[in-house]
Amino acid sequence: MSFEILLQYLLNGLMLGVIYAIVAVGFTLYFGVLDVIKFSHGDILMVGAFAGLTAYIGISETFTSPWLQLLVLIVVSLAVASFLGAVIARYLILPLQKAPPINTLLVTLMLGLALREMVRLFYPNGSNPKPFPKLLPVDGIDLGEFTLRSDSLILLITGVLTIVAVQRLITKSKIGLAIRAVAQDSETARIMGINFHRVVLITFMLGSALAALAGLMNGLYYNEVNFSMGLLLGVIGFSAAVVGGLGNFYGAIVGGFLFAGLQTIGAVLLPAILPNVPSAYKDVFAFAVIIIIMGLKPTGLISEKSSERV
Amino acid sequence: MSAVSTMSKASPQKQILLAEKLTMRFGGVTALDSLDLHVNEGEVLGLLGPNGSGKTTFFNVITGLYRASAGKVAFRGEDLTDATAQQVYLNAITRTFQRSRLSLPLTVFDNIAIGDNRRLNTGLIFNLFQREKFRKEYEVLVEQVRQLLLTFNPKLADKIFEPVASLPMIDRRRIEICRALISQPDLLLLDEPSAGMTHDETAEVMDDILQVRSKIKPFTIILIEHEMGLIQRMTERCIVLNYGKKIAEGTYDEIVNNREVQVAYLGQE
Amino acid sequence: MKLLISTFVACLVYSILLLGSENQLEVGALVVLAFVVSLVGKKMGLMEKLAVAVREHPQFPAYASVFGVLVIMLFFHNSHFALLMLATVLIYSIVCLGLNIQFGYVGIVNFAGAAFFGIGSYTAAILATHTAVPHLLVLFIAAGISALIGSILIYPVLRTRGHYAALVTIAFGILFRNFLEVNDTLGGPQGLKIPPFTIFGWNLSEGLDIGGFEISFYIPYLLIALFLLIASFRITRNLERSWIGLSMDMVRTDEIAASTFGVNIAHWKVVAFTLGNFIAGMAGALYGMMTAYVAPNNFTFADSLILVSIVILGGIGNPWGIIPAAAIVVILPEKLQFIQEYRFLLYAIVVILILLFRPDGLLPRRIREYFPSNKVGGQR
Repeated sequence: MSFEILLQYLLNGLMLGVIYAIVAVGFTLYFGVLDVIKFSHGDILMVGAFAGLTAYIGISETFTSPWLQLLVLIVVSLAVASFLGAVIARYLILPLQKAPPINTLLVTLMLGLALREMVRLFYPNGSNPKPFPKLLPVDGIDLGEFTLRSDSLILLITGVLTIVAVQRLITKSKIGLAIRAVAQDSETARIMGINFHRVVLITFMLGSALAALAGLMNGLYYNEVNFSMGLLLGVIGFSAAVVGGLGNFYGAIVGGFLFAGLQTIGAVLLPAILPNVPSAYKDVFAFAVIIIIMGLKPTGLISEKSSERV
Repeated sequence: MSAVSTMSKASPQKQILLAEKLTMRFGGVTALDSLDLHVNEGEVLGLLGPNGSGKTTFFNVITGLYRASAGKVAFRGEDLTDATAQQVYLNAITRTFQRSRLSLPLTVFDNIAIGDNRRLNTGLIFNLFQREKFRKEYEVLVEQVRQLLLTFNPKLADKIFEPVASLPMIDRRRIEICRALISQPDLLLLDEPSAGMTHDETAEVMDDILQVRSKIKPFTIILIEHEMGLIQRMTERCIVLNYGKKIAEGTYDEIVNNREVQVAYLGQE
Repeated sequence: MKLLISTFVACLVYSILLLGSENQLEVGALVVLAFVVSLVGKKMGLMEKLAVAVREHPQFPAYASVFGVLVIMLFFHNSHFALLMLATVLIYSIVCLGLNIQFGYVGIVNFAGAAFFGIGSYTAAILATHTAVPHLLVLFIAAGISALIGSILIYPVLRTRGHYAALVTIAFGILFRNFLEVNDTLGGPQGLKIPPFTIFGWNLSEGLDIGGFEISFYIPYLLIALFLLIASFRITRNLERSWIGLSMDMVRTDEIAASTFGVNIAHWKVVAFTLGNFIAGMAGALYGMMTAYVAPNNFTFADSLILVSIVILGGIGNPWGIIPAAAIVVILPEKLQFIQEYRFLLYAIVVILILLFRPDGLLPRRIREYFPSNKVGGQR
């Protein structure tokens, strides 16, 4: 195992970690504000990616500069996802507020299924993976046998900047304060004049936009999207958010990188330790560790926000 | 077990529950602060104090829902400090909750029957394959529940198989108390039974409890209450808590005139 | 009584028509008919009248159902496809009864139902192919293995609640499928072939020919499935109408109050989870032997979701709702070929609508009656 290959794995792990972290932050936002697990999160990610793809197909003739194309992609993708998020919040999540939480979980699971199927059935040739445009520079910096690709670097930096931006938004802005207030105690927040519905809608729009961004990043990195890409990413994001402690912003980030780390370790170490075990078992390994962690720390690695009053 | 008169204060009374230096900390908050108190067998003890003084926490620690940070709890000489909620129940200690904790979709009978859990046979073979034997046990319990309900409110006894969700708050309170009584406990913990009821309704319910008590056995009661009239009427002894500490102990008249108690409730004058 | 019999006959005729219909127009018409009838019936208070009638004759639905299945079986005695569908409905119902114990009674949502079903199938595959274990025993062993593997999950399931517990079963479901796909000893993505069920030398997968009366090879499987369904149903019913059902309901509705009255939360969760997985595994073994084949693709997360949606569609906690729900979920997409592609999408939409507008499902759970009596007013 040469140093360069290790470095490659490391970079890959960081990339995945950043994407997972962004997805996990979305989950944590939804849970914080509404105690809701929105399982369609991963599929919003997919819709965002496809929206971007559609936008690209639409404008690839008119605009030729890749940066301009990228800009349009991002705007369209985020806009579509935010809108979808708001609609979902308004018509599916808020009406089910009073119902047992399992209902909301199931509704969002079914919604995710519906979104996947709709793309698979109605998008032209939807059941096959589609190439995603290469809009980022592919050159790179050579370090011995290892090439630090520019697109990886750009994506990584974008991801980190996004997380930092969201963190600043949540902690420093007025709307962020409103979100945190509602997350902590929605009754009191309402009494204090915060418009609960508006906060919920904005949270969902924010979360969906984040998902779309993650989807775009995924598409740009692998140069491919397909209708089921959201499923695994969603489950991984959910696992990451839970393992970090639902409702905990930093926990989500830790969880995201942890999962990526587990996958990387699984891919690298398993074949080394158990020679007959192919690296395809990395997901099995990662999920198994998640289950073990849940057994040891049932409310996540960093503690959750509330506990039940007797 | 000596025959203890509930009204006699002169004869030496056996301590049924003893808390020694009982402490409960939640993060930075100390809900119970090295609390020393005892409960005499057969008495009705009032547990008072302003909100947040640790009364419900005390109940939660005794009943095994919280694990004490320090100190001891002994019941009939047996150390129950680290006992689970289930073990506490098996020691014949039952309780009601400050906010009503009934299973709303279940029937009145179901909610009370679970109170007698320690006498129910919950074996798989018995319940699945010995239906005739189960039926006998079931019918005996139905009759017991019905009798208990009749003590409280004959109309309630008619509704024995209706879902609790369809009943008003006062009936739910009654049902919760029946649930705590059906197993004939040795110690009954009542957490603000008057909450949500009018003065008359509360008086009625308390009389019913005393009636059951005189019929079955003179069990011990610890009563958390804010309604002073009730405390005055029902208790022989009171303990007042503030910030998790015992600040006064005595009869109702004694503690009512206690300066520190007045300050705790009303603030500095 | 007359109402009951006429309703039963109507349902029987309807089922036969539905199962036997060949073209989509017929099926479409039947679906519309069902819709119209249910609307009209609602207006006329049909459900209430039926409920009263069932109360007066509590044994009727059980006997009628069994009788109905046998009649349908005889009617389609040489039509393989219809019988396969019927058997699938019965087998899915068995699994969902197991899931119902976990979810409807104790409150554990199991998002890996298809995985436990699959464990049963795979175990049957291995045992039937490589050992000489009698096949009836294989069913039980497969069920046992399923329960055993489920017990590996039990520790995290016990310690977690709500969403966290959901994550554990979801993660396991995905883990299981991934494992099967990657692992070549268990056939990898292609799966394994399963030898057919043989009892005392009689190979069930060969059809019978009794004096020119051709009997499809599915019939013996159907009979076994029916038997298992009846057994699971009886167990579920007795379980619910007992102190065990009461304890489980308490665990689901209020763990804290339950524990202060001596209910051993962990015990009942383990019992429910294990029992449910046992039932699912047994159903999976039978299904595998019937279809002669098992592959990881049959046990995806989406399949687990379908099982959960059958339980919800039928009415959480009510075993009777499961059978019509399973029928709708299995038969309709097969019959309405044009929606075969849109199957999952339609499920998703239907379940969403139900959760929004009728969260109690087709047959909402009724309050517990330990010994239903014939008196209209309930218990004496």
